[in-house]
Amino acid sequence: MLKNILAGVALAGSLAGGAMASDSPYLTGREQLLMLADDNPAELTMWRGEELFHQVRGPKNASLERCDFGLGPGVLKGAYVRMPRWFEDAGKVMDLESRIIHCMKTLQGFTDQDDPIARKHSSDTREADLVAIYTYVASQSNGMKWNPPMNHPMERLTRNAGEVLFHRRAGSMDFACATCHTTPRKRIRLSFLPVESNVEEWSKAISWPAYRIGHGVVRTSQHRVRGCYYQMRQAGIQFGSDASIAIISYWTHQARGGVATLPDLKR
Amino acid sequence: MNKQNSIAGYALITVGVALISAALIAGCAQPRPDTQAERDFSHMSPEAYAEYLIFRSGSFNLDQATQEGTTAADRMVQDPLQRMCSEARNRPQPELAVRIVGAARDSIVYPEGGIKLGDWRQGAELARSGTGFRIGHNVDDHSRPVGGNCYACHQLDPDELGFGNLGPSLAAYGALRGDSEAVRKFVYDMIYNPHSYFPCTQMPRFGVSEFLTQESISHIMAYLLDPESPVNSRHAR
Repeated sequence: MLKNILAGVALAGSLAGGAMASDSPYLTGREQLLMLADDNPAELTMWRGEELFHQVRGPKNASLERCDFGLGPGVLKGAYVRMPRWFEDAGKVMDLESRIIHCMKTLQGFTDQDDPIARKHSSDTREADLVAIYTYVASQSNGMKWNPPMNHPMERLTRNAGEVLFHRRAGSMDFACATCHTTPRKRIRLSFLPVESNVEEWSKAISWPAYRIGHGVVRTSQHRVRGCYYQMRQAGIQFGSDASIAIISYWTHQARGGVATLPDLKR
Repeated sequence: MNKQNSIAGYALITVGVALISAALIAGCAQPRPDTQAERDFSHMSPEAYAEYLIFRSGSFNLDQATQEGTTAADRMVQDPLQRMCSEARNRPQPELAVRIVGAARDSIVYPEGGIKLGDWRQGAELARSGTGFRIGHNVDDHSRPVGGNCYACHQLDPDELGFGNLGPSLAAYGALRGDSEAVRKFVYDMIYNPHSYFPCTQMPRFGVSEFLTQESISHIMAYLLDPESPVNSRHAR
């Protein structure tokens, strides 16, 4: 009897974990996602990323173990939820994807033309090394709260410009990021849309990397930004550009205090 | 402010924006963008830095050709409506709202010979299709018809389950409202420039932007208003 009660409590606990307690349609509207949440294929990507991270590679025969993600060389725990941030050695605000590329260049000696840097996104036939490493580093912040620093003036200006970009309507359809992400409980077709002012939804929504069921591969923050500008019929945004980092800075700031799910599973 | 003045004011703003836009486009011909390390941006407002990011930082592929024969830079330049609604966060004060509605009404061009309904079957295709005018990493081929993607935001045929709800349901639209000239004009206006009724609405201006052709608009209107269209015929069952 006691055993049954305990089992029941454990089951209820696992179901109530995270999203189930919410009334947000974005978080609870897709049963398929909730059912798969404990078997996220992104874990395979994460394990491969861990190997690549520690592997000695590139013209300089080095691993990425000395890469500084903002908390000191080699410190991964909690680094991602404190990005984007100002990096004195690069003299700019960087997101995690840009920072990994920076370290692949400075520590390992790879160039923009080399496959580990040139291949930014995965396809169904080939997973990008960058995505795998990103997934591994990000996973070291799983369950932590988003908390990007705003001490440097460029961190604040970048976030504030990101807010302007988020609301800036342009292009053939007059869209801005805000078009889809400011009104609660809305859908595009059958996809529920997360709202930037709802920390519970937003902290999950910006939890990239995520295995995207519809794509069959793991996707990143930069990939999401590119997709949004594409669907808005605006100009193609460049990977790792200052504008893309401004958007990511603003969206991470909006998730401040909310819990990161890393890696995540998305539609 | 009377209507004449508000239109004059609107025109002035348009000229001003066009000049600024020209300056910005000229600016992006610079050989190499400044980097954060080389330049002090701290004096800049967020708005000015955002404009810098779009037009001069190399963040966007501005030189890419568009389907309408311009470059991507032109897509990024805001017209007066886009700018005013962005700044107002889509909640314009009454005076601005009146100006926007007035300018939107003036923007509408009606087909010669009146508003006619096309073929609802083609309208059904166009209402479902989300293809058209995308550039960037996978340019839409306009040898396929450009769709209105109505289902992204609206319910139409009640048997179609894949519909969004950013906009109101349009199921049984014609069955409930009929097909009078007033209804046709309202539907046409809403597709052509919905700011003529809802200033700073999220809905695109499918006519102003020439996103949809006159012919496509007539097909989509038939899909909404023709009694034979599944949008309406299923209502009677």
